Amino acid sequence: MGNLISEALSMAWMAIVILVGLLVYFQMSIHDPVAKKRAVFKTFIGIVATFLLFVAIANYKTNFYGESRLLPVSLVMITATTFIMALYFTNLSALLRIGGMMFFIAAFLSGYGNWLPQVEGGFPPVEEKKTWDSMTSQQLADEGEKIIFGGVGKNQEQGAIGKGQCPLCHAFHAGMLGERAPNLLGLPNRKERLEDPKYSKGNPAKRDYSVKEAFPGSGTAENIQEYIAESHSCPSCYVVSGYGVKGTNDKESPMPAIHKPPISLSLPELAAVDTWIYLREGVEPPSFEEIVKSYEKFIPEADRPKQQEEKAGPPSALMADGTEPVDQIFAKAQCVSCHTIPGIPGAMGTIGPKLEEGTTAALRIKDPTYKGTAKSPAEYIMESIVEPSAYVVKPFPDNTMPKVFGQKLSAGALKKIVDYLSQVKAGAPPPKIS
Amino acid sequence: MGRVIGKRLFSIMALCAMVGLLLLPIVVALPSLALGEEATAGGAKKEGATVEKGRDVYYKTEGVVVGAPAPKTTDGPKDYPRYNFESRVLLWFANQQHLYYGSFVLAVPIFCMIIEFMGVVTKDKALAKRYDQLAYDFIKISLTAYSLTAVLGGILIFTFLTLYPAFFSYLSSVFRPVMHIYALMFVAESGTLYIYYYGWDKMKEGFLKWIHLSMSVVLNIIGTLLMFLANSWIGFMMSPAGVDEQGRYLGNIWHVIHTALWNPLNLHRILGNMAFGGGVVAAYAAYKFLAAKTDEDRAHYDWMGYIAMALGVAFLIPLPFAGYWLMREVYAYRQQMGITLMGGLLAWLFIIQATMIGILFLSTNYYLWQAMGRMRGAEKYQRYIKYLVFLLACGYMVFITPHTMVMTPAELKAMGGQQHPVLGNYGVMSAKNGGINVIITTTVLSFVWYMRGNKVSTVSWAKFGNIFMGVFFTCAYFNIIGLAVYGYYIPANVRVGLSVPQVTTTLSCLFFMFALNSMMMKGAKQMGPIEWGKISARSQYALIMLATAFTWMMGLMGYIRSSVRLFWHVNEIMRDNSPWAYTHTVGFAANMISANVLFFWISILFVFWLGSLTAKKAPAEVKVAVPGSVPQPVGSH
Repeated sequence: MGNLISEALSMAWMAIVILVGLLVYFQMSIHDPVAKKRAVFKTFIGIVATFLLFVAIANYKTNFYGESRLLPVSLVMITATTFIMALYFTNLSALLRIGGMMFFIAAFLSGYGNWLPQVEGGFPPVEEKKTWDSMTSQQLADEGEKIIFGGVGKNQEQGAIGKGQCPLCHAFHAGMLGERAPNLLGLPNRKERLEDPKYSKGNPAKRDYSVKEAFPGSGTAENIQEYIAESHSCPSCYVVSGYGVKGTNDKESPMPAIHKPPISLSLPELAAVDTWIYLREGVEPPSFEEIVKSYEKFIPEADRPKQQEEKAGPPSALMADGTEPVDQIFAKAQCVSCHTIPGIPGAMGTIGPKLEEGTTAALRIKDPTYKGTAKSPAEYIMESIVEPSAYVVKPFPDNTMPKVFGQKLSAGALKKIVDYLSQVKAGAPPPKIS
Repeated sequence: MGRVIGKRLFSIMALCAMVGLLLLPIVVALPSLALGEEATAGGAKKEGATVEKGRDVYYKTEGVVVGAPAPKTTDGPKDYPRYNFESRVLLWFANQQHLYYGSFVLAVPIFCMIIEFMGVVTKDKALAKRYDQLAYDFIKISLTAYSLTAVLGGILIFTFLTLYPAFFSYLSSVFRPVMHIYALMFVAESGTLYIYYYGWDKMKEGFLKWIHLSMSVVLNIIGTLLMFLANSWIGFMMSPAGVDEQGRYLGNIWHVIHTALWNPLNLHRILGNMAFGGGVVAAYAAYKFLAAKTDEDRAHYDWMGYIAMALGVAFLIPLPFAGYWLMREVYAYRQQMGITLMGGLLAWLFIIQATMIGILFLSTNYYLWQAMGRMRGAEKYQRYIKYLVFLLACGYMVFITPHTMVMTPAELKAMGGQQHPVLGNYGVMSAKNGGINVIITTTVLSFVWYMRGNKVSTVSWAKFGNIFMGVFFTCAYFNIIGLAVYGYYIPANVRVGLSVPQVTTTLSCLFFMFALNSMMMKGAKQMGPIEWGKISARSQYALIMLATAFTWMMGLMGYIRSSVRLFWHVNEIMRDNSPWAYTHTVGFAANMISANVLFFWISILFVFWLGSLTAKKAPAEVKVAVPGSVPQPVGSH
């Protein structure tokens, strides 16, 4: 709060000085006691309103990317200011009252939005280079579980979801009703599907679905693994009764082809998913090569996602993409090697200064030798990461800290670092890791 | 005589000029489209056997590849040059401001057309004159906003070009065949608007007035086509078509425009613009009412606010149904997209939306109850208003209760499941539908009471009519609430189907009860005049609330629609590889929407203020109305 007030005063001092000057002038120049009292009172109101307005602006400025939950407070303060000013400028009273009302509504809605649980969508999943063919079945199954549920052992967690997005529609355990898609428990033993007349094994032309074959000449599945592969790559080749797109009489499936955008699983990833489907039920899975081959039957060469090509995007070039907790970001960016950061495990470095920016940042901005452009602690921290030479803390030497973090950390990761460091204060308990 | 013929001739020429402007883009486009085809065919001939074909990602048809693939962008100054700020936020701001103003200037001419038409067909000359003046006032406001819209459009394009050059050049390469049509439509829209506005006084009466009215039709056709073209960009980004999997254009521009979501988006936007336009004009009237110094002005702006509110709400009521259609099409296009919206990452934003819809209807009802205060004889309904408040409050609470929530694993563990142990029992879809339908039906009831506020029916079957109306509303409430409760006893996929009878009940109330009430009130005995201007200042704040809430909701829904693409510039075709390819938190989005809303309102209040400066210079003869002699507006009584 102290910082906020000093920031507000640093912006508003000129306006306040003018108003105080007016106050003195009215005291001196108006002789009618009633008129003097009115003028003094209104000028005093004006000073309070101006101060409130600048506190609100300072709050917005300081917290835009930080404690955004505080921003509606600014709007409430502006509302109060506007209503006060409506008393002050009677000829614009209607306009100011309407404005105040609008600020109040916006404050309420913003506050409501900030009061709700905060969910932030992470970056698209980063693809890592893996040597799939040398993995054991268990390792493959673990990778499969990560793809389906987002992590090993997460299959029992409600709401857990991975790159494959399967649990959005499918259930995987007994008793769970999948309303949008069939429950996948027992899938490795569903050989009866191949014998279903509607499946038309060996004779795709007879099929009564929107798509007859995965691609011309691909044929139908001959065994359960091929059935799984076909279901993934051509969901509309056979639709389980009751799960088709509404209005198509179960002729078309709502499921996307898994090897195509937006999910785009590669063949090895699909092999991992299938391996988990077998292993979790205690069924011996086919080998990696056999599973990949089953997919090759239904996915033509040109349609197979190429992992290396996808890796061309920037996420793979980043040290941290912002989805990680802040302690991991500090670790991944190697900040912990050089800096001591209260609250971050292992951050005991002494090559750079101890990072207690909640206390030190504001002081450094005020340092006469400071030549940077930051106006707030958040901006100072950001500047120190992106342009470490803008201000070098004494007695540490310049050019020790790499200047690549602006490119190597995503905006989300930088935001998390700035958020965290701006809350670290000397002598106070460290903030919570988020 | 010669002067009259001259005027007629001038009017017909002006109308022809407008039609010419309307057709100009199409005529100019024809040769270029043909050229495009020739070029394609020529290219195919030259290439001979090497001609490459691609399959349309949506229509599944084959076409000759004529465009370059969507660029694979990388983070850096080449594809994502930036200032020291989040580019996405800058683009968000520019886009939203342009959209607000664009919606306003597209909606207001439709209002003008309706009001001018009402003025032309009304037999009461004094009322006709007032309608005409009102329509003129509306178009005057939109004219000032029009130039701002154009300026904001320019800013938007520059922002796009500066911050997202690769993305923008890809989109413009796909839409190249219609880009110049788009630009020419702007010329046509501006030309038509100016002829329409400046020709107002010259075409005041008789045949000339009809010509003038026809001009408003032409103006609105151009405006609507313009919006459809703009929508095609959005539709393409959400549900691309006309390109192959690599994003290569396949030569059929109609496929690119007519994507899976284009039609529902068009309908939703027309209705949304109208509701929004009504809100803005109502706020303008409220501002003028609150600032008015004379009873005469208060009467005029009270009336103006009422008309604008009624028009806005008339388009607000079908808006949720258009929304349902859009959502249904989203689910049909990509189920995951629908789930991300309604049950995934963006689901909390829909809770805010529900809150907003509730606020809109509550404000409307509050305004109507306050408005009954200016009628003699409406006191008899006042004592029943508390029951309406009870119904609205119950409906609202059910409507905003969440059912399935998106949570972190820790929150899930703390709550013991994805549904809250207590609230989880309440927020199912049929109950929510019940909630909103109760709210809409109650709003219909408020309108019916308002319409008969100062009247006593004189038809012989009045008693029977009243009893029938009472029974109809009671049955409607029982049916809606009964189905909402029944929904708890049946599976979710069956439960969804209950929305159909619920909505049908509400719409039946809307149409049958309004029609019945109008029949009953034909030739009704008046208990006293409507004393326009004698309404509480609080009612005007309800109008401001309505307008601000509309604006906020528009910003919210636009954000939801845009962010559902997640990390795609063009869904599944062109990936967003900028550092901002993540979705912000609900709180950040709410703050950003508030900032956009406030900027829009501050700027438009400035426009209103500017307008009031010119009004002060206008001759006094414009103000023709006399309080007390103000006739009742058509449609309300």
